[in-house]
Amino acid sequence: MSNFKAVGSRLLQLAFVLWAVVTILFLMFRLMPGNPMAAYIDPTFTLEQQQQLMAQFGLDKPLWQQYLIYLGNLLQGELGQSFRYRAPVGERIFELLPNTLILTFSSLIVAYAFGILAGAYLAWRRGSWVEQAAIPMVLTTRAMPEFWLGMVLLAIFSFSLGWFPAGGTRNPGAEYSGLLDLYTSRDFLAHLALPAATLAIYSQGLPLLLMRSNMLDVMKEDFVTMARIKGLSNWTVVVRHAARNALLPVMTSFAIAVGYQLQGNVVVESVFSWPGLGRELVNAVAASDYPLAQGAFLMIALVVIFMNLLADLLYAFLDPRISHA
Amino acid sequence: MKSVLKSAFAALVVTAVALPAWAGDPIRKITILSRPQAGQQAEFQSVQLIAQEWRKLGLDVEVRAIPWEQMSDVVWYKRNEWDSTAWQMVGRPERSDPDELVFNLFHSSTAENGYNFAGYINKDYDATAEAQRGEIDPAKRKALVYKAQEILSKDQPYMMLVHPKSTFAFDKTVWKPESVVNQSGIGIRNTWTFLGIEPAGAKKDLIINSSDNIKAINPLYISGGVDSWITELVWDRLLRVGPDGLPKPWAAESFTWKDATTVDVKLKSGMKWHDGKPVTPEDVKFSFEAAVGGEAPMYKPFGTNIDTITINGDVITFKLKKPAASFVTSSLAKINLIPKHVWEPILKDLAAKPETAESYQEQMPIGSGPFKFVSWAKNESVTLAANKDHFNAPKVDRWILRIVPNAEAALGMLRSGETNFMGEWTGDPQVLLDAAKKDGDLEVVSTVDMGFRYIAFNERRPPFNDPAFRRALSEAVDRQLIVKAAYKSFAVGSNSIVSPALEFWHDKSVVDSFKTGQAVAAKTLKDAGYTLEGGKLHYPGDKKETVAVK
Repeated sequence: MSNFKAVGSRLLQLAFVLWAVVTILFLMFRLMPGNPMAAYIDPTFTLEQQQQLMAQFGLDKPLWQQYLIYLGNLLQGELGQSFRYRAPVGERIFELLPNTLILTFSSLIVAYAFGILAGAYLAWRRGSWVEQAAIPMVLTTRAMPEFWLGMVLLAIFSFSLGWFPAGGTRNPGAEYSGLLDLYTSRDFLAHLALPAATLAIYSQGLPLLLMRSNMLDVMKEDFVTMARIKGLSNWTVVVRHAARNALLPVMTSFAIAVGYQLQGNVVVESVFSWPGLGRELVNAVAASDYPLAQGAFLMIALVVIFMNLLADLLYAFLDPRISHA
Repeated sequence: MKSVLKSAFAALVVTAVALPAWAGDPIRKITILSRPQAGQQAEFQSVQLIAQEWRKLGLDVEVRAIPWEQMSDVVWYKRNEWDSTAWQMVGRPERSDPDELVFNLFHSSTAENGYNFAGYINKDYDATAEAQRGEIDPAKRKALVYKAQEILSKDQPYMMLVHPKSTFAFDKTVWKPESVVNQSGIGIRNTWTFLGIEPAGAKKDLIINSSDNIKAINPLYISGGVDSWITELVWDRLLRVGPDGLPKPWAAESFTWKDATTVDVKLKSGMKWHDGKPVTPEDVKFSFEAAVGGEAPMYKPFGTNIDTITINGDVITFKLKKPAASFVTSSLAKINLIPKHVWEPILKDLAAKPETAESYQEQMPIGSGPFKFVSWAKNESVTLAANKDHFNAPKVDRWILRIVPNAEAALGMLRSGETNFMGEWTGDPQVLLDAAKKDGDLEVVSTVDMGFRYIAFNERRPPFNDPAFRRALSEAVDRQLIVKAAYKSFAVGSNSIVSPALEFWHDKSVVDSFKTGQAVAAKTLKDAGYTLEGGKLHYPGDKKETVAVK
């Protein structure tokens, strides 16, 4: 019952956070220098056209009215019309979001699976030559800029060796009947490999180092010593006792990494011509396409908020000590 | 303290005595706007070079690099708040007729809120621009366009810099090089190439890259440069601008000027829409009415001069309100032919809504053009298939556009065969040439563009209201320096808004007779009464500085 109440108050908090995000987004883009009309400047652009566009975009109304209309529309699930595309923002975002999510999750899952295992292993082999060689390598991958790493992978595996295609999600001219059809095709997986690898290599350092330092802490705890005294095998001690406990902060970092990565994807999406939300977001901001930029940011904020909530709930589930009861 | 004041006072007296009585105020610090180096390296570099030359004239010059969105906001909407700015015009087929640029850029009627953001006002020029618009005799019109170029050269409302070269490439093992058309002022990436290019071997899909996303595939919305590659292929027009820059009949069998305000157009017979229905003169009439009907605001300016459209058999007669020689290029070769049976109900429905036809995206766009729409994966690719029934059926099977934002990847894809035609290259042209040399399969073609780069002076603000001052600033900069240092020789120097690529209209003498150099500029300033005092340029006579430096 009290758990139920805690979740309820969390949801209330969420609603408040969302409202704040929405309001800040609204104001931010309108206070930014630049003008959505700038995209239409052309020798044949007439005053009549300008006024018609302003009216069509709703920019002829006072700011507070625009805000109320925006809030009202949002409550009805309406994200507005993109200035540039003249198309509904929601439609555009939901077309691109799956591409971004699949890239984000596939790379993060690989990165975290590898990071957790390797981190636990390196903690176990503390002080060995393996650890001494691995840690500088991990730090190097952490320090490499994503776009640079992407370009290097492109140059080697695509342009030199020709093993993987250089960009996009499919071969030119390939037609698929739907998203599932596309995502399960060999074609798609070949296209996903390089961008996902770039993000995975870049992201694995955090879980690895986090896991390793947690493990080192946990290994010093009494219950681990106890387990060893009991004569349990090394494997059981490391995996069943230490690793499970060291995993908690890593799970939180996963949830946060998803949100972080959604923004960081921009660079990788550009290098690999990946049709995702990140590239769209940058274009929308540059062109002062307020509705599209707001919508895309809101979508990312939603994912981040949701992942944080999930992390909280997961935490309570994984570690009963944190339960609200 | 006292002695400081004293010496300051003494210095003032000395300066006052040293100044001749007829010298005006020193000219304030002037600014020049440019887009940042990151995205617009050549422009930024040109502006740096220009500022350097202007400083030698005794001016205090500040370069302000700001992103395009902010720059256009200032230049366009705050017309009293800037001094000079770098700007560009891009080449488009319909700009092969000089009217759009000659009229809209400099006519006084567009100074308040149109494209004459420089605020250039000259009655003599207005009269010339209007006269060429109404003159349908090509030779007489040419003389007027020449006259316009001469007035502009004398007044220098813009400081013309260069016509850049557009550089494209293709894989010559896939495409026969002799089948690639080089359209003057546009380059090899053009509709004629797409229509005529012939496969050299088994590969029959033309795969082309662009860095911009497609915004819409809509015959009633001018949504962007790359979008227009597609609309030009899916929809026919009565005329098309030919590879030589002159209009030629396309969906029209022929066209004839009956008098200065009447054009007869005979429609080709046997044309079909992609859904199999025949193309009728009624469809043509509907297309032009749709363009001006209010649901297609961007096409409206191209059709407003039409008074009536009448049909007589397969002849469509356009009666104009005013004589307009450019009508055949800027309207007949611009407005897309759309099927009445598809669009009539859509437009009727839209009439009651605030949105225009620009927000209507057909799921399956229907035109009558040489390519049919197949699919569009947002921000990734567009696929068109050859319309084998078309009167000018393409020789390729499919035309596939891929969006590749990364220039390095665009080159890599061309070399690896993932694309076979480079439709856009945002990198250094030399890199492309070097890559082609190394690769051996690629052919690179550079063409002088009809577009141009320039510095616009704000004629609302002194000292830029003085033609002599503008002329001196323009003379101070050697265009060859800009061509070589900023454009790495992938450009030609300019002094006319009509590119040498438009051979018929280009007045070569205005370019040849324009002399540059610090000495020339200094003399122009001196003759106009400007003086140099202690290395600083002053206004002539007793002119005061009226603009506050921000």
